[in-house]
This record gives sequence, structure tokens and C-alpha cells, in this order.
Amino acid sequence: MGDAISLVDVRLTLGDYEALRGINVAFAEGRSTVIMGPSGCGKSTLLKVAAGLIPPDSGKVLLRGQDIFLLSERGIRELRKSNGFVFQDGALWENKTLFENLALPLEVHFPGLSRSDVTKRVARALERVGLEESAGQRPAALSGGERKIASFLRALVAEPTLVFLDEPTLSIDFGMTEKITRMIHELKARGSTIIAVTHDPQLTATLADRLVVVDAGKVLVTGEFDEVKRTKDLRARAILSQVLGEIASYDTDLLELLDRDPQDGQN
Amino acid sequence: MVATLGRWANRKTRDYAYALGFMFQVLKETVLFVRRRQVAFKVLVLQILFTGVEALNIVSLIALSIGAVIIVEGGTILPRFGQTSLLYSILIVVITRELGPILTAFIITARSGTAIATELGNMVVSHEIEAYISVGIDPVSYLVVPRVLGVTISVMALTIYFNFFGLFGSFLVSQLIKPVPFVEYFRALLATIQLRDIVSTVVKSFVFGVIISVVATFQGFKVSSSVTEIPRAAIKAVGQGFVLCFLANALITLIYYL
Repeated sequence: MGDAISLVDVRLTLGDYEALRGINVAFAEGRSTVIMGPSGCGKSTLLKVAAGLIPPDSGKVLLRGQDIFLLSERGIRELRKSNGFVFQDGALWENKTLFENLALPLEVHFPGLSRSDVTKRVARALERVGLEESAGQRPAALSGGERKIASFLRALVAEPTLVFLDEPTLSIDFGMTEKITRMIHELKARGSTIIAVTHDPQLTATLADRLVVVDAGKVLVTGEFDEVKRTKDLRARAILSQVLGEIASYDTDLLELLDRDPQDGQN
Repeated sequence: MVATLGRWANRKTRDYAYALGFMFQVLKETVLFVRRRQVAFKVLVLQILFTGVEALNIVSLIALSIGAVIIVEGGTILPRFGQTSLLYSILIVVITRELGPILTAFIITARSGTAIATELGNMVVSHEIEAYISVGIDPVSYLVVPRVLGVTISVMALTIYFNFFGLFGSFLVSQLIKPVPFVEYFRALLATIQLRDIVSTVVKSFVFGVIISVVATFQGFKVSSSVTEIPRAAIKAVGQGFVLCFLANALITLIYYL
């Protein structure tokens, strides 16, 4: 399969800070790519640019060969319908209830759906994660984990084939992490293209087909997961160790850390 | 020095270009709003409820007070110069043509302008705007256009309401000073008011509504990443809104007398 998304010499300056400095990377169709790097290196910005949420100052973002920022209105609608984005902080719409947060993407992408169909689909999604009792609540009334999982449901409610995940398991408890990890693996099993930014070694080990290591707004290494985790690039290796951050505490090797059995990871 | 001036000019040029682009986008999406099947219709209804309906009390109170002051002052001063008949002209000029639209605009700027700038600024900081884009919703179409339409419709309706209450208030107070029959009072008002007075008030209220809403949404969207920018956006929404409304008021009044 070809590339779902490719970034060609993408540069972006936010204020006085050069966030992306000539990024060239491709994300393969139907595969899961994990972007890793130290905090503040531009991973989330890269993810948002790849998703077409932030236009770059220069360079191109290609969706199956077509420039995302030159798509027609109809093309953009199709792009958003087939894409889902989970934000690091949830980014739920605070002036809407949980139900409305999930219903709005359906109303936008499927204008022909009846009110009762929308209600059924939202109810089914909420039941799946045990949030059906919170449907009428505003996001402010939800816990951090519930907000995160609600953001996940919102991104997936229209059943996208390309999913962007920005730290999907950050700052949530074990139970919620398990639920989200399970949902991500279901997505992967369905053959969705997943592009994730995460510091979670367990998620990385069980999800990544490919790895992209980013540092100071540049791609250091990119390639198949097995190749990248054995990279000879010292800086990339240092970053992987630093990002995964468990080497010292586990007194183990980077390879062992990433080589965990996926089944172990889910238990 | 030259470099600083150059950077300042460059920043200003970018700001104006951004503002023009924003206005063009708002105009385009407003035209398309009525043609599209909109999920944003609910946002429009809520905006009219907040800006228009919830401001009725304060507008009534201010309109009654202004009407009362004019009738008391006019009723006291004008007879001294034998110009009692001018009272109705003054009522029409002050309430209908000048104070009605501008005071309503001030009330709405203070209430809704600040609220819109703050709400949108918060949405930018908490990445809610990006979330709208991620699910295929154009923030201008969904968040700005309903607010522009809602505020403009509300300012126009509230200005008419202000006029009615201002004139009615002056009648109530006139009953305490020098009772005038209801029919006689309103017949005199109707004889004084001209079509161009009504056109003037409608045009002003429309222009003020557009100014208030576009400035507030623009300032809300100008917030980039920090919560400390949000109160600044609200202050700018009020300051720029007031100044632009004053300028527009002067311009329309000048055109009225051309």
C-alpha cells in the first residue's frame, strides 16, 4: 500500500519559535506509526500539521498525493469524515453535553441520519465505555480519564479510517488506559491507519509498525519499528531511552523494553 | 530604529491583511449560511436569546430613564423660550436617531461583545476550535456567522424596542409634570417623525450590530495560546467596538444631513 499522508519539507514557526524545520516523512496506509521525541520537540505540532489542522509556513502536506490545503470544500468534508483526531487534553466542547459532543460530528457528516439514529449511535458508543449515565453532563463534570475517552469516542464516532492520536494515554488512570489501549488495538485490527504521538512504552511496543523519532523540529530517524529501535544513531537512541524513561527504573535494555510481548502489555 | 519601524510596519500590514481576510471569510460564510443546511442554526437561536432577549430588562430601564430625563429637561427649559413645540423634535432626534442606536450598541458591546471574545478566546486556548476543524466544521461558519447574525438581529430589534420604551417612558413622565392625553402625545410624535429618521436608526443599528459582532469574534480568534490573552481580547473587543461605533455613528449622521 502507498502512503496515506506525506509531509514534504514542512516548516512552521509559532511566534518566534521554529517548531518544524524541514520535515520530510511519510505515513503508510493501513499501518500504525508512533512519533516519539522529547517534550516540546514539535511532535504534537507535527501531528496537527499532518492532520491538516495547522497550515505550515512552507512545504506540502499530501493526502494520498493531493495537497491537503488545496482541497476543494467537498474534498475537505470527505477528508474530515475519514479522519479522527484525539487531542492531548481532550478538547471537548465545554458548552455542549457529552451527548452533543458525540452527536455533532454525526450530524455534520451524515446529515441524512434521523435524530433517533444519531441518539442510538451515540448511546451505543457511550455504553461501550460505561459512560451512558454521563450523557447529559457537561465535560467539566467528567474526570480527566472520562474526558479523554469521550474525546476518543468523538474522534471515532463517524468511523474514520485514518486516526491521529495525541498522547492518548497521558495522565489517566490504569482502568481508562486499558480501555483506550483496547480501543486502539481494535482500530489497528480493523486496518485503520493510525498516527500516534505517545510517551507510553507499552502502547508503543504493542501498537507501532513504524517509528518516527523527532528532535528539535526535525525527523532524526524514521522506518520500520524493528529497524528504528535498533538504530545506531546515538541521538535517536538517547531520545528513545529518555522518552521511554523506564530504562533506569526497570534496569533493562531499550530493546527489551520495546520488545515486550503485546499480550503482556494488555494485562 | 529603521529595523524596528520596519518590523512594526510588517506586523501592522500582516494584522490588517488578516483582519481583511477574516471579514471576507465572514461575509462569504454569511451569504452561504442561509443556503446551507446548517447545524449552526441552534447557535444562532441561542445567540439571539442571550444578546436580544436577556438584554430586554436593561434596555427597557435605560430607555425609560433617558426618555424621562429628556421630557423633564425639555419640559422645563423649552417653555422659557416659547419653544414647547420643539419637545417632540428633540425626542425624535435624541432617542430615535442618536441615543437609541448608540446606547443599545454600548449595552450589547458591554454584555455580548465581551462574552463572545472571552468565549472564543477560551475555545482557542483549550483547542476546541481545532476540534471543530478536526470534525469538519468550519469555525467561521459555525461559530462566527451565527454570532454575527444573532448580534446584528438583536441590536436592530433592541434599538426599535429602545425607541418604543424611550418614547413611552417620556410619555409616562410627562403625565407627572404636565399631563398630555395619550392620543395627542403620540399624534404629535407621529407628525414629527419622518421616514428618514426611521431609516437612519435602522441603518445605524445594523452597522453597529455588524461592528460589535465582527470585532468581538475577531478579537476572540486572535487569542493564540495563553489564557492571559483572553481578558486583553475582551478589553479590545469593547474598546474597538465603542470607537468604531462612534465613528460609524458620526459618519451616518453626516450622511443624513447631506
